[in-house]
Amino acid sequence: MTAAPPLGPNVFKSELKPIWCPGCGDYGVVQAIYRALSSIGRPPHEIAFISGIGCSSRIPGYTTAYGFNSVHGRALPIAQGVKLANPDLLVLVAGGDGDGFSIGGGHVAHAIRRNMDLTYIVMDNQVYGLTKGQLSPTSPRGLKTVTSAYGSLEAPINPLLQVLSAGAGFVAQGTPADMPGLAAVIEEAIRYPGFAFVNVQSPCVTYGEDDQQLRAHKARMKSLKSLSHDPKDYLKALELSTHYGLELYTGVFYRNPSPPPTYEAQIKARQAELAEKALPRERILDLFKKE
Amino acid sequence: MARDIVIGMAGSGGDGIVSAGESLISAVAGEGFHALMTKSFGPQIRGGESSCRVRVSTEPVFSSGGSLDFAVALNWEDFLKFGSELKCGGSTVVVYEAKTGVEPDKIPLPGVLPAQVFAVPLSDLTKQAAGTDKAKNSLVLGLLSSWLGLARGSLVKGIERRYSKKGDDVVQGNLKAFEAGFAWATEHPLTKPMTMEAPTGTPTPKLLADGNDITAAAALFAGCQFFGGYPITPSSEVMQLLSREIWKYGGAVLQAEDEIAGVGTAVGASFAGKKAMTATSGPGMDLKTEILGLASIAELPLVVLNVQRGGPSTGIPTKSEQSDLFQACFSAHGDVLRPVLAPTSVADSFSVTVEAFNIAEKYQTPVIILSDQEIAQRKETLDPIDTSKFVVEDRKKPTEAELEKYVRFAMTDDFVSPISHPGMKGGAYLGAGIEHAESGAPSASGAVHARMNEKRFKKLEPLKSQTGLVSVEGDPAAELALISWGSVAGVCREVMAHARAEGLRLKLLVPTLLYPVPEAAYHAFFTGVRAGLVVEQSHQGQLYRLLRMFLDVPKGVASFTRSGANPIQPADVLARLKELTFHLQSRVEDARRSDTP
Repeated sequence: MTAAPPLGPNVFKSELKPIWCPGCGDYGVVQAIYRALSSIGRPPHEIAFISGIGCSSRIPGYTTAYGFNSVHGRALPIAQGVKLANPDLLVLVAGGDGDGFSIGGGHVAHAIRRNMDLTYIVMDNQVYGLTKGQLSPTSPRGLKTVTSAYGSLEAPINPLLQVLSAGAGFVAQGTPADMPGLAAVIEEAIRYPGFAFVNVQSPCVTYGEDDQQLRAHKARMKSLKSLSHDPKDYLKALELSTHYGLELYTGVFYRNPSPPPTYEAQIKARQAELAEKALPRERILDLFKKE
Repeated sequence: MARDIVIGMAGSGGDGIVSAGESLISAVAGEGFHALMTKSFGPQIRGGESSCRVRVSTEPVFSSGGSLDFAVALNWEDFLKFGSELKCGGSTVVVYEAKTGVEPDKIPLPGVLPAQVFAVPLSDLTKQAAGTDKAKNSLVLGLLSSWLGLARGSLVKGIERRYSKKGDDVVQGNLKAFEAGFAWATEHPLTKPMTMEAPTGTPTPKLLADGNDITAAAALFAGCQFFGGYPITPSSEVMQLLSREIWKYGGAVLQAEDEIAGVGTAVGASFAGKKAMTATSGPGMDLKTEILGLASIAELPLVVLNVQRGGPSTGIPTKSEQSDLFQACFSAHGDVLRPVLAPTSVADSFSVTVEAFNIAEKYQTPVIILSDQEIAQRKETLDPIDTSKFVVEDRKKPTEAELEKYVRFAMTDDFVSPISHPGMKGGAYLGAGIEHAESGAPSASGAVHARMNEKRFKKLEPLKSQTGLVSVEGDPAAELALISWGSVAGVCREVMAHARAEGLRLKLLVPTLLYPVPEAAYHAFFTGVRAGLVVEQSHQGQLYRLLRMFLDVPKGVASFTRSGANPIQPADVLARLKELTFHLQSRVEDARRSDTP
């Protein structure tokens, strides 16, 4: 017997040509996803890739997985429905900082506390690219954009801190400036049995600031490994995450060493336990019988 | 002897008046009567005023009836808050707490005959019998059981069951109160006896359920495997029942963080190949609208229940209204056609829900079930439903050959494309809210958009002429017509019976399919119609206006409306119909006169 042919990264690349600007960070993200999926080895049809709206949310279409490019901010609810309907699927969720932390911000904490085995990749570029350069929830204070002509008056959201404090079992960050590192954290996130979050610093070449571009990333990035960070150390992870916006750390902030049961595993157990109590469907109205 | 009795009771929250109603309907359901019970509350979560109406009949009933035959007031302040919901008249027997100190000839109900009024020392009698006045509601049941000659054995058994968890003392106290009430009523007979006749035919024990219960059960019958939703009055009971039952069938319920996530998870489950549902009320529908548009353009089956309540905004959450029809049909940006169905009774909720799942699956579209609080939360006796007569449809799956070179949104003869789901080899595609070509690839081409819009509209064309989605009743040649929908259709069905008895020639159209408007059925119905009413419980008369938008409605057909929370009773409709007949006749006479040379 011969082993099935390995699924090379190109197996996951679709024929659609990305709409992204030349040099966009998202090209690197999709390449990293191809590599990670290749290492995982699940065939494309067993993967559901759900996104919201934004430049980055176009990403499912550039893979050969089942994709769903839904509406702004709602990728997480849709992905949870997919996962509960078919827990055997590998479910990826992607979107931008606006999708995940502004219009869809209310869903993140709930997705985390349910702990389904999902991998949520946010392409964080601190600006709204698709709508041409407005302020985003992760834009730094003082940033001048077309909707903040005199500078933003708001502090940015810190996605890493927010997700860690909400209890996510796996939290990592990467940048396309470090492709092997990015592919590795995405792969590790997929392998984590529970809700996993990867913040990707993915530069916007058109509307992004100079210090957010790949060249700057290369100069600034520091791997958490090089800082001897232990991903089991939750409190240290919280502390490091507070440097968001000041430091560009790459790698795993936190990996829960004893992952709690996933939502879908608990559901399977409940379904198995209750199955024998089911009335035959055609007799369902016996529920309302009066003796 | 009586064959059809309406009892209305009101008190404050702790009086147990609603639980007395529940005991009563449960007992008569077991004895084979047809019965219907509505509850109504003030806005308070606990306490405050509460009331119920129980209608018991030897024949099937379709509405909660007209004026009360029996009114029970534990105190006047609470009773009067319900106004026309507990309407009394000259033939109403009124029972009230003597402690209120109001003289029988001074009760605040104009038109009630003093001979029919009973000031009963409810609290004192209960205290004497049970040692506490908490069992007042059981005493009231004893009074009714004696006066109506109704269900004594079943009521006693019901009391034993209901209070068994609270210990023997409580059971005995309630039984003693019941007997004390029974004895009091036996000593104080009604001036006009109202003993109930036995139910006609062989009395069969009935099922007892409310519309939300039946909708949830029907969803399970239709194969629903996922429910995502957010609690909201008056639809939460659907999620509650499913959260007890759906696991047994391998499905799941998710109580989402908000209305949007509720429908979002359901759309996700449908994308993953499972039959999925969400339920809500008006404010929740507002929030779900964007994702409904997504389901339309991504061509995903989805069932959405909206149990209507008073609106706009928070409106009157606990009371019924039919003012979300425009929202159901039109709330979406873009060109969207979304089927809207309405049940007319608790029992009808079963077939309408199964039909909604079938339409959703067959046409790959969201379908809205537009129920209303009246149906959703009223308890009704049902004859057992023969489920074997229902067909359950599933979405059209691609064949192996089609999966060789799968095109998700392929143009087919019926404009419905075979749909794959994640896990299906060869079926991978991009689902999207963005306009797309047949392959699913995003497209901003005007030509593609026009073609896909046409596809999404044309696939639903056969629905308008599908049989069984419009009911026409009464005298086919009648010139006088009624049109009604939802719970108010039940009122109109009773109007039909009265009209028949009075020799008034009348016909009635009840659409299950509200939208797209089944034009041919209406045109056939309108043939020969010279006057009529579209009867609905809203300020605007939304069905009337919808029909005028799509059809040539005969000039003599007018709108009969009443804002939500104001019940429409058969007598009201009948009175308007008689006016119409009068005008119709005078017009005929005028015409004759002007014909004379």
